[in-house]
Amino acid sequence: MPRCDRPESGPRSQPRRGARARAALWILLSAAASFAGADTQSPANGAWQYMRGQFYGTRDIGEIGDQRMSIEAPASTPDPAATPVVLRFGPDLAGKVKQIRVIIDNNPSPLVTTMNLKSGLPVEEIDLRVRIDRFTSVRAIAETDDGQLEMRSTWVNASGGCSAPPSAAQAGTVGEIRFRPSGDARALQISIRHPNNSGFQIDPRSGDPIPPHFISHIRLLSGGETLMEADTGISLSENPTLRLATSRPLSTPMTFEATDIPSQQLFTATWNGGGVRAGNR
Amino acid sequence: MACARATDNTRIALPRAHPRRTAAAFAAIVYLALPLGVHGAGTESFALKEIAAGVYVHPGQALALDAPGHDDIANIGFVVGTRCVAVVDTGGSVRIGRALRAAIGRHTRLPVCYVINTHVHVDHVLGNAAFTGDKPQFVGHADLGAALTRSRDFFLKNYAADLDPPASATQIIEPGQLVAIGRDLELDLGGRRLILRAWGKAHTDCDLTVYEAQSRTLFSGDLLFVQRTPVLDGSISGWLKAIDTLAAQPAAHVIPGHGEVQSDARAAFAAERAYLEGLLDGVRAQLAQGKPLQEAIRELQSPTQVGWLLWDETQPRNVARAYQELEWE
Repeated sequence: MPRCDRPESGPRSQPRRGARARAALWILLSAAASFAGADTQSPANGAWQYMRGQFYGTRDIGEIGDQRMSIEAPASTPDPAATPVVLRFGPDLAGKVKQIRVIIDNNPSPLVTTMNLKSGLPVEEIDLRVRIDRFTSVRAIAETDDGQLEMRSTWVNASGGCSAPPSAAQAGTVGEIRFRPSGDARALQISIRHPNNSGFQIDPRSGDPIPPHFISHIRLLSGGETLMEADTGISLSENPTLRLATSRPLSTPMTFEATDIPSQQLFTATWNGGGVRAGNR
Repeated sequence: MACARATDNTRIALPRAHPRRTAAAFAAIVYLALPLGVHGAGTESFALKEIAAGVYVHPGQALALDAPGHDDIANIGFVVGTRCVAVVDTGGSVRIGRALRAAIGRHTRLPVCYVINTHVHVDHVLGNAAFTGDKPQFVGHADLGAALTRSRDFFLKNYAADLDPPASATQIIEPGQLVAIGRDLELDLGGRRLILRAWGKAHTDCDLTVYEAQSRTLFSGDLLFVQRTPVLDGSISGWLKAIDTLAAQPAAHVIPGHGEVQSDARAAFAAERAYLEGLLDGVRAQLAQGKPLQEAIRELQSPTQVGWLLWDETQPRNVARAYQELEWE
């Protein structure tokens, strides 16, 4: 079976990227389907067992020490459609991580993202918002420049006392991008208006499935260099949001790019520093 | 009061004997401690209050949505005209709907001609199937049908026990008569006029209020929570806008979706308005400082209202929803 999520390693034509990402999605979905089912009481980790073999083979993976790396997510999510997941890297790892994968074991599409970071970029924190389908492990695996692997995981319960019916989707202009820096400019939150439809939702009016339509690739550039680049999928929330915090103020201008499936539309905006506002389209 | 008895072997009259809220909260704890099978509060003594002549309310209990007795947490009621009866919300199970239907039968032999749902949430709609025998017109917000369809699988998965076995989608009844935003619908019960108004996104995306003109009674649905943390499932700015209009209504009685019946609209909405304004300001401040969602949730967790039920569970969700709305302002 081909690898599911080869990250970008250079410029590529849009259609090819789309085809590959689409293929990756179907592989993931079928992989997930074969693990779904039996155990709904505790988070099964079949998807992880499978992916571990696919992505990391028999390599050792460190799992101890919050000082190196940690993952935080609410034990019971306040909003299953947009659960905050926070990854933190201590001084040992900040600036040395080249790739991060986030996996939600019990989601229909477990691989949330494969993210590559520019060598030396001192990332201390990465925040994502994800969909949680049911009680599950959420895990992040970081690979350092010298090939070391670290994994941290946490459990998230999505039932929330059965009190959360699906809510109405938000309106808005697809592709609108917002930049929201922290006061000290060391952190930047980037959000893009997008339904990120999984393909599993049903149109309440027609009863037909809503076709998949989601952000499949994002990129953050500064001074002509790629700082961060990621393949993403349907486990990201509606209006996907990424927040990066580094140990030093971020340099400007910074350009964010996102591509979606299946329209292959490219959305882009540039942050020129300063306060909370939309970037230039 | 004679009543539909689901479980005849117990007489747990605690919630009825203690009308005060503190007692209701205590009763909630007692219920949780009871062995399975004796709950089902509401059917062994289906309380009914006549708010004004011909306007009746069954007060919902102060319980969580996953507690035993969760099917009886909403205020539901009916209005009796000279021609027929209109029901406003049907409770969180077919059982509660049936208890309400039986209670109506003890007050009048007139037929039920309208069943109105104030919004999509389970505790207000799952009793609809108890009224199909009356062949009423089911009435709701223009977007209620879509919201029910969207929620159908969720209801069948999580609330199957609140429907008649075997639970099926046919028991989740959608409105046949719709109310559009900006176009109030007037229903004539004979000597009684109901004015139905559909609202933009507020508590949910399908909120509807019912105003009974003669007694000046407003059924607010969940646009008003009293002593229970409001659940934000629509739009915080939209909800505050709706409150501006609702608080100015000349209502003499306001029947909230949850909590005690109020006598003055402006006063009735004051606490909820203060809460929502505080939430709006708090989340905006977090966004202005570039704080991420999880920090906003943490920093806005301390209760701002005294004694509101279910704060700990509801507040994080409300912050999350408000944050996701306001980050696009």
